[in-house]
Amino acid sequence: MNVDEFVKAFGERFPEAEVRVSENKQPHPKRRVWVEIDREKFHEAMKFIRELDPKAQFSIIIGMDAGDRLLAKYHMELFWEEGESLSLVIGTSVPKDDPRLPTVTDVFPSALPYERENQEFLGFIFEGIPDPRRLFLPDDFPEGIYPLRLDETGIKPEMVKNAGHPYKIGGAKK
Amino acid sequence: MNGKLEYWVKIPIGPIHPALEEPEKFIITLDGERIINVDVKLGYNLRGLEWIAMRRNYIQILYLAERICGICSFSHNHTYSRAVEEMAGIEVPERAEYIRVIIGELERIHSHLLNLGVVGHTIGYDTTLHLSWLARERVMDILEAIGGNRVNYSINTIGGVRRDLEEKHIRAILDMIENYRNEVMPKIEEIFLYDPTVEARLRDAGVIPKRIAIEYSAQGPTARGSGVKKDVRYNERLSVYPDLGVKPITPKEFTGVVKGDVFDRMVVRVGELWQSMELIERAIDQMPEGKIKAVPKDNTLLFQLKKAEGEGIGRYEAPRGELIHYVMAQKGKDVPAKWKMREPTFPNLFAIARALVGEQVADVPVAIASIDPCLSCTDRVAVVDANTGRKKVLTERDLLRLSIEKTRELNPNVRAKPEVVGVGCPRGGVL
Repeated sequence: MNVDEFVKAFGERFPEAEVRVSENKQPHPKRRVWVEIDREKFHEAMKFIRELDPKAQFSIIIGMDAGDRLLAKYHMELFWEEGESLSLVIGTSVPKDDPRLPTVTDVFPSALPYERENQEFLGFIFEGIPDPRRLFLPDDFPEGIYPLRLDETGIKPEMVKNAGHPYKIGGAKK
Repeated sequence: MNGKLEYWVKIPIGPIHPALEEPEKFIITLDGERIINVDVKLGYNLRGLEWIAMRRNYIQILYLAERICGICSFSHNHTYSRAVEEMAGIEVPERAEYIRVIIGELERIHSHLLNLGVVGHTIGYDTTLHLSWLARERVMDILEAIGGNRVNYSINTIGGVRRDLEEKHIRAILDMIENYRNEVMPKIEEIFLYDPTVEARLRDAGVIPKRIAIEYSAQGPTARGSGVKKDVRYNERLSVYPDLGVKPITPKEFTGVVKGDVFDRMVVRVGELWQSMELIERAIDQMPEGKIKAVPKDNTLLFQLKKAEGEGIGRYEAPRGELIHYVMAQKGKDVPAKWKMREPTFPNLFAIARALVGEQVADVPVAIASIDPCLSCTDRVAVVDANTGRKKVLTERDLLRLSIEKTRELNPNVRAKPEVVGVGCPRGGVL
């Protein structure tokens, strides 16, 4: 299944999703599919992808803080047995005061470490995650502080010990 | 009183341990000699790279990306450059692509030689370590001649490479390949393909079946050793690799059987050494003349990147597996909104932790060494010091429950209940 067939199949199944195809400037240009979909339809879309290719490989969850919303992008590699594979980025976003997302560990079991990572660093709440413990942060780290958030729940200046590098946290000292 | 005693013993391996090169923690639950659960705790190497990158511009992140890891420094730099090139639509000159291929394959040779030595050291073959690392010095010298450093050669920039290959470098590379073919590789094949002791020790240790490798998304030689034909250079049609005829290497072509154990992963690495040498020779033959940079000056490049918007993904087959970088632009600023990377060791660690269930404790160091773990790559996000906070401790009951569930997967007849008992206390109707 190539890019055009996938876009057609996905667009018929989820007409409300935004699908675009990007192409880079390499000697052998690679086309990537970028999908934006709402939170309500997200789990259904992941299941649909799994049905298209039962051997799909899960790569990464990119979580980021975009002002009043949190974005999550999932990269997957499909049809890698046929030679040239299909690189798919499916993204969704949640409001910051209600950061719930359905877990995809029932569809892709290998997504668990990435969900744990995004839970502790950005404060997502994955509903139904089988193992909600911390992965990277120490166990005595204060709760409610998410290091990669850019708002008041991010890192407080008094928590940072400047090890003498030239970049002061609150700007250069006058 | 039935007279039958069972023992659950928990052994923490790490964070500082003689068997591990880098700090990580494996909590292993044992039932007698068999491992029944492995729990991984990461984060002992966190340096806050993503957080630092919020205060750096695109050119400064190049140097930061190179310092993520010492062994795969070219790969991070290369993949980050590819992500920015895709985001901004920069076209790389063809000669630069060939130079990137040559340096990347040289790095693959040195990384695989390092890992072959480490695995030999883990099973007690220290002579293997010394000989393979002696052979590795030759690649390092050539990389130093090209880039100026033995590690962190700083060869990449956004839109090309910073240093050109000259005639003397090409002569040295071809000499090195000839020396490897005639003197080094026969010795390595003798040890890792035909030595009965090594085969007896590495066969059936740390087995990752093909189903588990696909389910846990294992990458690189870890997946190819289990028979999964997956290679980003081949699947992504990356750069000029399709013109050079790259193919995923599985142990089937060398030994005829695929079991997915440590021995098979070593066979894949030996095969990739051969393949890398062929790729370098073909790349040197086909390399055209021309420019090596799309944008000659860094200031011009930064000005161009200020106007860029959108997002880009770079993927590359690092020596350990698929490496992926993601960059998102901020319009009007030379600082990216988000830079995120995923390293091949991250999924491989969980795959090997799953594969260790049912093995013996003696196989833990060699199984962990066989995925060539790079924990500096894996631990990279922001962390800060905390003075107070509620301490969360995983109780023994939770761990026992997990263990018992895992054991039931293997054997549905297990009747144990997660009772809280001290480590090594007798269970099963003693009192």
